[in-house]
Order: sequence, then structure tokens, then C-alpha cells
Amino acid sequence: MKKLSARIAGIAIAFALPLSLVAPASAAPAAVTLTVWTYGNVIEPQAIIDYKKLHPEITIQLKKSGLDAHHQSLITSFLANKTPDIAAVEVSYSGYFRSYPQYFTDLRKAPYNSASIENNYLDWRWAQGVGYEGTVFGLPTDVGGMQVAYRPALFKAHGLPTSRDAVAKLWPTWSAFIATGQKYQKNLSKAEKDSCSKKKVCYGFIDNAGTIYNAVLNQGTKKYYENDNTKDGKLVYESNPQVKTAFQTTATALGAGIGTNINSFTNDWNVGMNKGIFATILAPAWMMDYIKQQAPKTKGKWDIADLPGGGGNLGGSQLTIPKSAVHKKEAWDFMSWYLSPAEQLKIFKKYGLFPSTSVLYDNPALKNFKDPFFNNAPVGQIYGSSVKTLKPIYEGKKQRAIDNIIGQALSRVGLKKQNAASAWTQALNEIKNAVGPSK
Amino acid sequence: MSNTASKSLSPWRASDPRKAKKPKQKASDGAVVNSLNGGWGYLFTAPFVVMFLIFGLAPVIYSVYIAFFSWDPLDFTHTYIGIDNFVRVIQDEQFWLAVRNTFSIWALSTFPQMVMAIALANVLRNPMLKFKTFWRTMLLVPNITSVLAVAIVFGQLFSRDFGLVNLAREYLGMSNHINFVSETVPGHIAIATMITWRWLGYNALIFLAAMLAVPNELYEAASIDGASGWRQFRYVTLPGIRNTITFVLVVGTIGGLQVFAEPLTLAGGESGGDSRQFSTLTLFLFEQAHMGNWGYAATIGIMITFIVLIISGINFVFTRRLGSGENVQ
Amino acid sequence: MNLLLDNLALLITIVVGLVIVAWLVRHYRDKSRWRKVSPWSYLVLIFMIVVSAFPFYWMYIVASNGNEEISKNPPTLVPGDRFLTLIGHVFEAAPTFGISIWNTVVVGTVISVAQVVFSALAGFAFAKLNFKGRNFLILFVIGTMMLPSQLGIIPLFMIVNDLGWGSTLTAIVVPALVTAFGVFWMRQIIDAQVPNELLEAASIDGAGVIRVFRSVVLPIIAQSSFVLGLFAFLGTWNDFLWPLLVLNDPNQFTVQVAVNQLSASYTIDYALMLGGAFLATAPLLLLFVLVGRQLVSGVMDGAVKG
Repeated sequence: MKKLSARIAGIAIAFALPLSLVAPASAAPAAVTLTVWTYGNVIEPQAIIDYKKLHPEITIQLKKSGLDAHHQSLITSFLANKTPDIAAVEVSYSGYFRSYPQYFTDLRKAPYNSASIENNYLDWRWAQGVGYEGTVFGLPTDVGGMQVAYRPALFKAHGLPTSRDAVAKLWPTWSAFIATGQKYQKNLSKAEKDSCSKKKVCYGFIDNAGTIYNAVLNQGTKKYYENDNTKDGKLVYESNPQVKTAFQTTATALGAGIGTNINSFTNDWNVGMNKGIFATILAPAWMMDYIKQQAPKTKGKWDIADLPGGGGNLGGSQLTIPKSAVHKKEAWDFMSWYLSPAEQLKIFKKYGLFPSTSVLYDNPALKNFKDPFFNNAPVGQIYGSSVKTLKPIYEGKKQRAIDNIIGQALSRVGLKKQNAASAWTQALNEIKNAVGPSK
Repeated sequence: MSNTASKSLSPWRASDPRKAKKPKQKASDGAVVNSLNGGWGYLFTAPFVVMFLIFGLAPVIYSVYIAFFSWDPLDFTHTYIGIDNFVRVIQDEQFWLAVRNTFSIWALSTFPQMVMAIALANVLRNPMLKFKTFWRTMLLVPNITSVLAVAIVFGQLFSRDFGLVNLAREYLGMSNHINFVSETVPGHIAIATMITWRWLGYNALIFLAAMLAVPNELYEAASIDGASGWRQFRYVTLPGIRNTITFVLVVGTIGGLQVFAEPLTLAGGESGGDSRQFSTLTLFLFEQAHMGNWGYAATIGIMITFIVLIISGINFVFTRRLGSGENVQ
Repeated sequence: MNLLLDNLALLITIVVGLVIVAWLVRHYRDKSRWRKVSPWSYLVLIFMIVVSAFPFYWMYIVASNGNEEISKNPPTLVPGDRFLTLIGHVFEAAPTFGISIWNTVVVGTVISVAQVVFSALAGFAFAKLNFKGRNFLILFVIGTMMLPSQLGIIPLFMIVNDLGWGSTLTAIVVPALVTAFGVFWMRQIIDAQVPNELLEAASIDGAGVIRVFRSVVLPIIAQSSFVLGLFAFLGTWNDFLWPLLVLNDPNQFTVQVAVNQLSASYTIDYALMLGGAFLATAPLLLLFVLVGRQLVSGVMDGAVKG
């Protein structure tokens, strides 16, 4: 018996040993490793390099995931009580997390005192980081002001004007935008038309007309929910006419065949961008960074014009400090530094992420900034005018699920699997099943 | 999840290594050795039993409990809702769509693969074949690759505009590009291709082993009777591997109900594509879990279990009937 | 209509392929009756090997050429010279990728050793020892093997969180230390390979149960244990669902989660993803070179149904 217990103990030690090798003991006490979880390009690499120079004792460990994967892993980290020091929360999930402020550090309190910097930011962006009990759980990062990125050379080849003013005049409204697209399609060369009729690569005016949906929706004053000061908000997806308008406009655009049906952020999209298969992208400011990264050879071949319908937004996040973060003070120091007006200006110039620090909007350094990649378009001024016209929109709890269902419905319309009316009916049904009835 | 590893080994399940290494007779007919102190049995099985109760059985029981609640993981309290989740799942079109998708992918990946595996085993069993070990080993290579890696590679190969599959079709004169990501049947075929690629060699080896176990005398007797190659195959080989066919079918079914990484990668999201055409049962469970509907997700898990039990039941009956007519001698 | 034709073309391709294979098999069998091997056999086998190997080759092509090269028409089919650069990108995007590989090696080793040890112990008891409740427990083992893993996954997640193992490798290791399958398999192995006379003789000589297990049973089942351990290791290496759910901290990732992390970025970067997949697969291919034969015999031994 003695022998056996010794053996079992031996086995236990044999297991414990390699496991302790796996998890390295934390580094010397002076140095701090700040764990930061984000998706996409919320935190740009240059900022991490710069911060290391300012604070050599702090190492920032960045974890980037996909949008959905990131938020899901944030939820599981709450449940496991092992959270990062800083976590990004994207707008489409901010409605969900605002129902659970108990998992975040309230930034109103000392030593953070968020009220002291609140006035630096756009009010509606700030509001996206406020929980339902009034707690401030996150600071706004960039704002995804939306405009149209287009390619003058392709416009010219298809019978459209090229200068950004003339282009903006083409489409004061969404129906004018669609009509412009149809004109473009009409002027496709024979080779381009043949390519598509054989179901190969389809050339088109816009990458994917489905992207119009969010642009139109965000031009309204509310989306799927209304704030009734409850934890979960009130569902209005069916009674809010803006949702149906956005859906119909997009379905019309899809029916008009002005897009290529290539989905954003896919390999085909990257290739299409490089090869000039589509001439426009509805581009939030942060997308400029993606275009530069994915199609560096198209430098100078792009320009930026105003979005139809006036102003637009897509995306944007808050940086939060989860309640069980280990290094809250250091987290706040980094966050408030990264999201300060000065640093946001630098990031904007280098990457194109448009600051949500509205105090900068009249700053000549921003206003007069021109981006050579986009044919020296005054992107500072163009995107600034886009975000200033927007009104605050209440972000609802299960907004992401609703977005996905409508996205699928539009995708079915685009692929001609379903007509707009039945796709809409099916979507409403699915939303009802997923989140409950509209009131 | 305590049987994590067994999933990847599942084809070994219900296997019997009696014909292992040295094809000797069974060493003991399941008889115990009474001269050994049986009391040690409790100690020897204790680690397994204890661990299994905690990490195997307790979660199963707990999931039945959760299924009676509306359970959002971030909430501190959960609402008891009786059998609402079960009523909902029965009426849920998305659930039944997931059932259909799962079985469609299963059928497309199982039957062609079975025919190919048997044909391949038939090629491999020729005693005059050179480099036997080399062929066998090479055929097993796809099986050691992770499902995720397979899904990533094939996902790229099947992409619409610039994927290799569509470009290859173009060079073969089929000028239209198939949109594997948005069309249901091609998409299911693409997923079935991934599964077939990964398991074909493995199953061929299993069939090969079964074929090698068929006594040579049967073939000799058959050829004396003047049976040709095809007739030999039909009347000697096939009956000899009949049980193995059933076995591969069952294992394929249990594996098929777990298909997850391939549709997730191809669809690019847990909802499984614009018409939910890649939403398999496991993917559906995860989608619901990630939407914060843990009670409902647990209910889906229970439904999957029912399906497994039903299929196993059918198979049990089927195998018994096959078994009764087994001896060909 | 077009849709139908597309699918038809694909189906026809598959069916024709099958018919050709079947015809080839029949053709050479009719003629040769095992006396010689038709060259067609070798052709079929070579074709299968090319098909088996191509995805690995393609991983390397993409990982050594980059995204632009592979989206050319016709695409590049030869390896490029940027492999190290692009693999460098993998480590840039996932600085902990190396740690993930190491984690997986350690976790896989611990799990496979534990599974072999616990399965052998329990398998031996179930096969050879006479104790009350034995039959019930055996039935219990077989019964639980039928339960799909999805059933308990959410509660299991809650349990490991309650134990404080959330987002740690402990959550991967501990629930996998024993499996019903391993126990069942070992029981069958010991039943088939260890003669009762040997055990009786040893016990009459005065050896206790532990000595009998160590000096009689273990040597006989050594090779089968090795194969079980190998498959447990491969299973752990390739496991995706559970680690994806549990692991959040990049320092505690297993290799599959790390690869998934590469594909989970906003943009789909195939060179990066396939580079990661290549890195995650290469160690297995190396291992396979060493133990491929054992794996083959393991598969074939386990195949014959009793």
C-alpha cells in the first residue's frame, strides 16, 4: 500500500512538473505586462512602440481576434474570472455589455475620473460606453465616419466624372447613388460583361451593395431598440421605419445589379481591390487602413467623396477595464494616453483611424490633412463633416444577432435566392425567434 | 469532454484487437483470474471512476438541469421555464434545418467514401503489391492533420473567384464558377470532400485489415468453382467485410453529428451562411450558446443525444440481423 | 437550371471517377488473379498519394509565395522564396505561437501518459480482477461512450470555471486524463493478449496484484500502450472545440487555438493562416515519419471486429 501511494504521488508530481513549465512565473515585480484584447486594428502597432519608449517598464501584450470571437472570449473570460487588463468593446456589442456593467470598472470613480475628459469626445460616441445604470464602462476609440472611397480612373473609363466634388454631386441621395451605379454598369466593356455572364468574375460599381444597409440605418435616429431605461431596452425593429427603409434601399441596390457580391474582408475582396474589379467601397475611416494594407499597389488610385444621404458611421469601439483586471491603474494610464487628442491625431495621420476626440475637429493639423494614398483627398475634413452630422443612436442588447440575420437576408436577395419581400418576412421571423417580438 | 481524445480515435471504438500482432487465439475468454485479490479492482478503477463522475457524468446531468432554464451566462440569476426549451426546439425551423444539413453532409461524405475506401483496400490487398508499407503509411497522412488545418486549406481552394478548384474547372472547360460558399449542394459537397479526404485512407486501412482476415481458403475454393474476380469480390470479400461496413457506418455517423470546424470555416460564421446552409447541429448549439442562450443550447445537446441513441438503436437491430447470416462457410 | 447543371457536372465527375476505379479494380483482378499487379494499381495509388499530399504542398506554396501570387490566374504551383518572411509574419501576428506549440507538446504528453496509465490500470481490473460491481461498471463504460461530447460541454465549462481552471491548460488536461474509450480499449487488449495462466502462475509464486500488473501485464501490452498514447497525443494536438471554448490567454493557447487566432482577424490573410497551419502540421508530419508504421498497424489491429 505504501508503495502504491508513493507511486501515485510520483505520478502526480510528474503531471505537475511539466505544467509548471508551461505557465512561466510572472516577471520581476517592477515590470508590468498589460494584457490587451482587441479585434481588427483598434490598437495600432505604432502606439505600442511609442508607449514602450515612454514607459519601458510596461509591456503590452496584444491579443487580436475576429470581431465575434473577441467578444465571445471576453464573455467567457468574465465567467472564468480571468480577464484582460483592457478589452475593446465594439459598437454592435456595446448594447449587450451595457446591460452588464457589473463586469466592468466604473470609470467615473477615482482615480479614473472620466468626467474630467468627457468633453474631449463626441457626445454620441461617449454615450456608447455608458451602462444602463449610468456607469461609464469604456472610453471611445476612433469613430468610423463613413464616406465613399472610389477610383477615378475606373469612373472615367465608365463614363463618370472623376473629381470628388463632381462625384459627390452625382449622388445626393441613395437612389441617385444606385442610378449612378447603373450607369456605370451600362458602360462596362464587352470583356467585363462577358466575364460575368459566364458566372466568372463580375465587375461592378460597388464591392457589395449589401454594405449600403448599415450606412442607411446609421443615418437614422434609432435602430432595433429604444432606450426605456430598463436593462434590456425595448425592441422596435419592426415599428422603426428606418430599418425597413434601409432594407428596401439595399434590396433595390442589390436588384439593380450594381455590386460584385464579393464580401468584405475576404480573399476575393482583397484580390478585387488589387485588380480594380469594383470602383467604390463604402469606407468608414478605419477602412482606409485596410485598403492601404491589402492593396498597397493601388496607392494614388483612390479618392474619397461624400456619402449619399449625408453623414454616416460604421463601427468604432470603447476600451474598457474589466472588473477583475489585475493592472487597472496601468490600464487606465495607457488607455487615456492612447485615446488622448494628441495621440489620436498621430494615429489618424499614420493609419487613418478618425479621432472621436471632437476637440480636434477644428484643429488645422487634422482639417488640412491630405492623404496621398487617396489622391491627396482632405480626409480630415471629409470624415470630420461626416461624423458631426450624426445623432446618437441607442445600441441595443442583441443588436449583433439582428444585424447578422438581416445581413443574411440581404445576402439571399443579392444572390437571387429570394425576393426582397419574402427575405424581409423571413428575417423578421428569425429575429422574433432569436430576440423576441418587436413592440 | 472527458472523452476529447476518443473523438479523434473514434473509429477504434467498439473495436477488438483480438487479431492483433500475433494472430493467436484469445488469451482468455473474458474470464477473470480468481487467484488475484479482486479488492484491488476498486483501487485500480478508482481514478477512472472518480474522474469520470466529475468530468463526464456530472456535466451531462447538469446540462439536463440547465435545459429547464432561460440561462444567460452573464446573469446572476436564471429563470426556470419548465419544458419551454423543448417545445421551442421541436418547433424551431432552424433546428430541423440543422438536422437536414447534418444528414446531407453525412450522406455525401459517407457513401462515396465507403465505395472508394473498399476499392482502395481491394487494390492494397494484392499480396504481390510492392512497397506495401509505404502505400499504407502514405494513405494515413491526411488523417493526422487537424480538422482546422484541413478546413483552412480547403476553404481557400474552394473560394469563389480565385480558388484553385474553380480555376481548375475553368481549365477543364467548365467556365462557370461555382460559389461554394453560398450554394447549398456545392457547399455540402465541399465539406464532404474535406471529410472524405481526411478519412478515406484511414477507412481503406480498416477495410484492408478486414479483407486480410478473410481466410485464403475461401478464395481458393471460389476460384476452383470458377468464380471470376468480380464474383469473388461479391460472394467472398463483401460478406467478409460486412460487419466492418456497419462499423464504419456507425462511427461515421457519430463523427458526422459532430461536424463543426469545416462548416464554420467555410461559412465564416456560426450562423452557417446566408441561408444557414452550413448550420450543422453542433454549429447550431454553439451559435445559441454564444448568443447567451445556454438553456436552449443544452436542450439542443440533449436532442443530439437522442438522435445518436436512435441511430445506435437502429444499427443494433441491423447488426444483429446481419450477424445472423454471417457465416459464409 | 444553371445551378442544377453545375452540381450535375460535379456529381458526374465523382461518379465517373468511382466507375473508373471500380473498373480498374475489376479489370486487373479478372486478368491476373493476384499473380501480378497491374500497373493501373500503382497509378491509382500514386494518384491517391498526390491527392493526399497536395493540401500540405499547397500550404507550403501559399506560405512561401504570399497572397498576391496565389490569386493569379493561372496560380503559382511552385514554392516561392518568401517562406521565412511569411513565417515571420505568423510570429509577428501571434508572438506566442512558439509557446502554443510547446504548450501542446507538454499537454499532449501528459494526457497520453495519463490515459495509458489510467486506462491500463482500469482495463486490467475490468479484464482480470474479480470484484463486485465489475459488470455494472463495464456496462457503464460502454454506455457512456455513446454520449456525444456536445451534451456536457457547457456544464463542463462551468465546472472548470468553478474550480478556478478557466482559461488555463489545467482545464484541457484534467478532464482528458481518463477516457471511457481508453479503458474499454485496454480491457480488450489485456483480455486478448494476456493469458490467464501466466497471471495465475505469477500469483501462485506469491506476487501481489501490483507486481503482477507491473511485471507480467505491462511488458505484454507495452506496444499497444504506445499506440494508444500516440493516438491520444494526436487527438490532443488536433483538438479544437474544447480548447477554443476554454482558452483565452495567448500564453495558455494550444496550437489549434493559436492557428484559429490567425484566421480570426478582420481580414482573411491566407498566407498567414496557411503559414500557421503549416507550422501546426509540420511537427506531426515529422512524428509521422518516425511512427507512421506503428500508427498504420494500430489502425489495422483495431479494425477487425470480433
